[in-house]
This record gives sequence, structure tokens and C-alpha cells, in this order.
Amino acid sequence: MKITRWMLLATIIFTLFILTAFSKSEKRIETAAPSSNSPFAMAVTNEGKPIDGGVLRVAMVKDEPFQGIFSWELYEDGYDADLMSWASNSLFETDENFMITNEGIASLYVDQKNNKVTVTIREGVKWSDGQPLKIEDVILPYHIIGHKDYPGVRYNSEFQNIIGAKEYHEGKAKTISGIRKVDDFTIEISFKQLSPSIFYGGDGLWTYAAPSHQIGNIPVDQLLQSDAVRKNPVTLGAFKVEKIVPGESVQYVKNEHYWKGEPKLDGVLVKVVPSSSVSVAIGTGKYDIIQHFNATKMPEIEGYDNITILGRPELFYSYLGFKVGKYDYQKNTVVTDLDGSKMGDVNLRKAMAYALDIEQVSEVLYNGLRVRANSLIPPVFESFYDKSLKGYVYDPEKAKEILDKAGYKDVDGDGFREDPKGKKLEIKLASMSGDSVQEEITAYYLQNWRDVGLNVTLSTGRLIEFNSFYDMVKADHPEIDVFMGAWGTGTNPSPSGLYGASDQYNFSRYTSDLLEKTIQNIDSPSAFDKYYRANQFKIFQKHIEEVATTVPMQFRYEIYPINKRVKNYSIDYKNPTELHEIELMAKEPFKSKKKK
Amino acid sequence: MGKTIIRRFIIMIPQLFVLSILVFFLAKFMPGDPFTGLITPQTDPARLEELSEKAGLNDPWPIQYVRWIGNALHGEFGISYTFKRDVGDLIGERALNTFWLSLLSVTLLYAIAIPLGILAGRYQNSRLDKTIILYSFITYAIPTFVLALLFLFLFGYKLEWFPTSGSVDIEYSSGTLQYYWSKFHHILLPAITYAILGTTGIIQFLRSEIIDAKGMDYVRTARSKGIPIKKVYTKHIFRNSLLPIAAFLGFTITGLLGGSIFIETIFGFPGMGQLFVSSIASRDYSVITALVMLYGFLTLLGSLLSDIIMSIVDPRIRIE
Repeated sequence: MKITRWMLLATIIFTLFILTAFSKSEKRIETAAPSSNSPFAMAVTNEGKPIDGGVLRVAMVKDEPFQGIFSWELYEDGYDADLMSWASNSLFETDENFMITNEGIASLYVDQKNNKVTVTIREGVKWSDGQPLKIEDVILPYHIIGHKDYPGVRYNSEFQNIIGAKEYHEGKAKTISGIRKVDDFTIEISFKQLSPSIFYGGDGLWTYAAPSHQIGNIPVDQLLQSDAVRKNPVTLGAFKVEKIVPGESVQYVKNEHYWKGEPKLDGVLVKVVPSSSVSVAIGTGKYDIIQHFNATKMPEIEGYDNITILGRPELFYSYLGFKVGKYDYQKNTVVTDLDGSKMGDVNLRKAMAYALDIEQVSEVLYNGLRVRANSLIPPVFESFYDKSLKGYVYDPEKAKEILDKAGYKDVDGDGFREDPKGKKLEIKLASMSGDSVQEEITAYYLQNWRDVGLNVTLSTGRLIEFNSFYDMVKADHPEIDVFMGAWGTGTNPSPSGLYGASDQYNFSRYTSDLLEKTIQNIDSPSAFDKYYRANQFKIFQKHIEEVATTVPMQFRYEIYPINKRVKNYSIDYKNPTELHEIELMAKEPFKSKKKK
Repeated sequence: MGKTIIRRFIIMIPQLFVLSILVFFLAKFMPGDPFTGLITPQTDPARLEELSEKAGLNDPWPIQYVRWIGNALHGEFGISYTFKRDVGDLIGERALNTFWLSLLSVTLLYAIAIPLGILAGRYQNSRLDKTIILYSFITYAIPTFVLALLFLFLFGYKLEWFPTSGSVDIEYSSGTLQYYWSKFHHILLPAITYAILGTTGIIQFLRSEIIDAKGMDYVRTARSKGIPIKKVYTKHIFRNSLLPIAAFLGFTITGLLGGSIFIETIFGFPGMGQLFVSSIASRDYSVITALVMLYGFLTLLGSLLSDIIMSIVDPRIRIE
């Protein structure tokens, strides 16, 4: 077939059209550097007169359907928690330090001496179906989680801290003996040992109620399949679930029984929106609030004039871990072996940390939505976070100096340093695949290390898929010397579980007497004194910085684009928006007038 | 022929059995397990161990296999580890979505491709033919996600002719007319995208078949008998040229449940393609194995259907 000239031309024009249409969404390299403090506002108030009622439209950015488990006891996925939060069953409210206050439905009294806790609920609180909240509704979740048929992860060593939980789980008792109903509004819970975690909802305390009149008679192994969990959960929050399209969207209407007062909105509509088109959806005014917006898409929405971008530090840190030992799965203990490990020399670890240009990666590839971390405690935890720590700020000269001093020299002239004994040194890095820019980042870090003369290569030769990554890291695979991981800390920043001598998740396999003692002190009875606890936290952070077995890499911001139709909204941990007070100022969300 | 069909069904049993072994053990060979994704600082390793013990994941693989195949023969594929739902229900829900989307896609696909293919073949080397060929090359060259995004931006967000994600508007309750219209409205844009992208093969097949047929003796005979050219095309050439397309019809029918990961991801449409890919990522063994068995069965069925259809369309072909 002969291709005529005009056909060729048409093809080229069409291709160019496609290319230009999409080049806009390309990543921009030159983004402004963020200031050292949070570059984002955490709250917004828009001027204007609110309308009566209205439906708030929320986009949840997600590329797969949501799981749809509407039960605080059973859900596993963070997206389900976000969906439930509109119709929360939460009993307690927390302050800026994430500690339980007495402002919520229930109040907490801790009897530290006797390891007892009293939970008292307000009178007159009603479920979304109009039934009164009973003390049985507070007891029920314990009997769900502790049940032998309970399929979730929340029956754990922490939960076993409740006296009688284990016996109940093993079927030796009909109820949990440590939970005692005092009167119609009060229960008393006895624990084996209380720690400051109790104020964060830890130690086994459960902070949600479950509607016993709705699910009390459903056998625990059938809860997950029941309509009460899947279709029409009865709740306590400002809104109640009206309808669910599985995996796609949830419609809420206001809960006229809400204990803080009737919500001003008529309802809320939450929809799953694919990440590929969410930026356009924001610009064309489809949604009021966007949850789980991906940092790498930030440049796509910066030019829009119909939104305010709110941001807050996340309860998260990423880290560089060095393998300096093994985990003994028979004895359940970490075995640190500094002398026998390739990464055993603290100078080598420090040099590797100094050599990484994390600042550049945060700015360029994450658009300033990540910043270099200096500690294993995210700064949100103001009273525990040690801001005086320097961290390993990018300094390749210092890295070289440390290596030179410690005897890592290039003996055979191949451009890479040998170890102090003159043997070839090849360091294996395990890096997880997933994030779209992960490949670029890993390549850049390898280059950083090459620049200071270290021969670092990828374990298995490429990025490792999530499941294999943790399999290999858990098993102390010999192919891994260094690995890059991340933790979401939750609201209780205690390092126990991650850095203790018996913790499987202590992936770098480092422990020392000082470290172990400090971790135990943090959760000890003396730590009820908050100055003592804060001080122990500082010792922990300092010790880890000195030994550099786990080097903090980045903290992360999460951002929420908010349409200007929303009267006021706040994501500040200190002063979050009360859901029943949200107001709208127009019938539809505003569209962006500016083309970016 | 009835005998042959029964025999083919009987042969399927060992084929599916071999498939089941392959699938099951390959799934187990993947690193990690359904509980790997649950690791957070708060999860207790001992609890994860207890859960995987309860789920029987610690038993030797052959024992797990026998248990699984035993249940599968009773039609029970277990509970999805991720969605915590009965696998049959879960797949059923997604399959229904995918089925309607694919049915509309394939209908549109044939509705676009067959006339274009015929026209291109009939008016070979004309300007129309060249335009059609250009069109089919362009649609062949565009990656799925590019066209899908382009259409979504243009028709979904800019012109607002179509909904932009999901399979149905939540406002309407099931059973009403608006509900079904909303469902149709939601699958229309993805279906059009899919149809436009898939036309090339059929257009090219039809075109070359028609060009070949034009020079055939039976065409000359028909023309010399004085049959009008229009009738020769619709009666004689068209039927013969459809043969290669009919050969794939069986696969097309059973392929309706395959789903497309790109289309589903971009249009936020909960379908089978996504379920399959995400179940692999999360090591949702019960869903993976059930889906592969289903696809395997459908492929075997598709090839049988194709043979049957061929023997009906073209009596010269006999399946023995």
C-alpha cells in the first residue's frame, strides 16, 4: 500500500496533538524549595454566605475498588477507616498529642496503682437508628476481638494485657473476666500492667463502640458477611450510611440523633476516583474534598484557582536500615553481630548516610512534599520529637573523610573502595518497587554512593516487589546488606514493636542494653510522668542516631485539595473540623477559571 | 457432532485438572502470603502466625491442594483474603459488571468494524479505503490508556457527556429505570473506547478477504449471470469473507469475562481485569486460583464454541 503524503502528514499532526495534550501532565523538575516549616496551611475559611444543607462531595483517590468492611473491629484497609470516619463509632476524642481527653462520648479514668481503668459514657447519646447507647455496646467489641473465631489482627499481645482476654480467646471462659459492668454507664477494665500507652488507646483499651442491638446476636465468624457490616451499619457519628455501591461509592445522610447536634449538611457523597484523572476532576469542580491525593501529582493542580491546598505532616517516616545481625525465630530474639556483619562498622554506616542526597530527591521528585528526616519520631509528636538532632545532612566530603579515616581505601584502583582489610566491598541494597518514581530515586542513590567510592548494587538486580521485599528482609536474606523501608507510626509513637530485642519487625537486628532499657522505660509505669517519658524518647532518638543502624530518611506531608465552596475546613491535628459544622456556599463545587 | 461435543467436554476434565495443579502451586511459589500486607508497627507477628495457621497456610502444599480441590469440586472457592467475602459472590459481582461492559464493547466493535471493513475492501484504493486504513493504523498504534484518558478528559470532564468513574450513580435504587439507564450511561464511554481500539484486526481481515473474493470464480459467475453488483457483495462475498471472523467468535464470547485492566483502572470501573491483577499483588490465593480456573475453562469452552460455530457457518468444515 502506498502511503500518500497527506496521510503521513495527518498522522504526524495527530501524534503531535496527542503528545502536546499529555505533555502538560509531565513532571516539572524545577519546583520551589519548601521552607523549613510546613509549607502548607492546615485550615481554610472561605468568605461568603452558606447555603442551607447541601451535599459534600468527597473524592477518595484510589485505583482499585475499596474493600468495604464497615466495622472498626474488623476492617484492615486504611481507606475503609476513612470511609467509616464520616459515621464514626469513636468513643473518645483526642488532643494535639493524640492523648485521650474527656470531651468525647466517653471519659477515661486511669487508676495507675491498681492497673485499672474506668470508662464512663455520657447519658442520652443515641445510635443513628435512634436506639440509646448502652454500656453493653462498649463491652461488645472486646468480646468480638477476643473471640476464638475473630478473623482480624487486633487480637494481639496488647489485647492480651486485659485480664481474662486469653482465657476467653481459648474458650476457657464465657466472658472476659477483667471487664466489669459497674452501672448502666460505667465499666471497669483490669489490666495486667498499665503503661502511658493507655492514654493513646493502647495497652488493650478499645476506643470504639459497637451496636449490640444490631450485631450482638450475629456469630463472630459471620460478622464479615453480614449486612450490618457490609450494607447498613448503625453508627454514632455525624453522618450515617444511606447506601453503598460496593467498591465505588458511599452515600451518607445526616444523623439527626448526633450527640453534638444536627449536622448542617444534608449529607456526604464519597466516591473512588482513579489517580489518572483526579487532577482534571479537581479542576472541573467535581469534588469538594480530595483524600489520598498523590504528592507526585502536585504540579498538575497548583495552578487551579478553585481550590485551597491544605497539608499536614503525616505520621510516617522512611528509613535506611542496615543489617547488623539475625533474628532467632526459635528463641524469639534479635541476635546482633556487629563484628560478623558487612555493615557492622559504624563509620561505614555513617558515611553511607552522609552520602545520600535526600534533600534533592525530596525537592525534585516529591515536589517538596517530603523532607529530610532527622529522627525516628515524626515531628507531629511535639513533646517527644527531638528537633535538635542534626541527622545525616547530605555531605559527600564528610562521607569520604570518614571512609578514608576508617581505612576504606581504593587499593586495586578500580574506582571503588575496599574494606580496611583490603578485600573487595560490594554492598547489596534492597529497594521496594511501587512508587512511580522509585526507580529514579534508587538509581540516584546508587550514584550518590558511587560518588564517594562505594560499590552499592541492587539485591536481586532490580527493585523488589512489596511481598518479596518483606519476605527477604524478615528472613535476613544474605543478599541484603542495606534496605529502604518505611513505617506509618500510628498515633502512639512508642518504639516498642520495632526496635526491641524480641521484635521481629526490628529489621536491622540491632539491639543494645541501653536501647532495650530505654524502650522498656518509655512504656514503664514511671513514664506516666510525661517529662520522664519525653526524656527517654530523646535518649532513644539520640542512641539510634549515634549507632546509625537505622537512618531516618524522609518525613512526608499529606495534602488535601479543598474546593472553595467549602466554608471552613481544617486538617490540623490540634483543631480538626467538627464534621457536623461543615457548611457549603454554593449548589455545586466551583470550577477553575484559570487554565494552568 | 453431538458425540464430538461430549467427548470434548470429557477431555476438558484432565486439562482442567492439570491447570489446577499448575495454578495452585505457582500461586504458592509467589513470595509472601495474604498477611504480608498487614504488617504495621501495631500488628503482632504472633497474631499473623495464628491467622495463617488457622487459614491452613502452614500445612504442606499437597495437603492444602487436596483440601482446596475438594472444596472447589463442591463449588466452594473459599473466602477472599483481601475482601473477606465469598469468592463466588465477589467474582459474580465483578463478572456481571464486566460482562455488560464487554457485551456493549463487542457489539460496538463489530458495528464499527464490519461496515468499515466491507467498504474498504469493496472500494479498494479509493480515498475512502485509504482513510479507513489510516484510521485503523492510528487506532492500532495508540496505547489503550492514552485514548482512554483522552476520551475521559474530552467527553467526561470537558463536555460532560458521560460520567467519569464508577459503574452506577449512587442516587438511584436498584430496579428502577433510571438505575439501568445510569448503568448503561456509565459503560458507554469505556465501551466506545474499547471498541475503537479493537477494530483494526477485523477491518484488515475483512478487507483482504473481500479483495481476495472479488477475483474468485464464483463472483465472476454470479456477475455473468447478471446478478447486480450490490447483491453479489451482500449475498456472496460478505458471507464468505466473514469466515475468519466467525472462527474467533467463540473466543470472543467467552472472552467477554476477561476484562481490561487499563480501561477499568482509568474509568474507575470495578471489573474482572482489576480484580485479577490486584489479587495477585495482594496474594489473595483463593481469588487468584478461582479466576485462573475460570479463565482456563472459558478458553477451552471458547475453542469448542468456535469449532461449532465454524461448522455451522461453513458446512464444508466438520468437527470429528
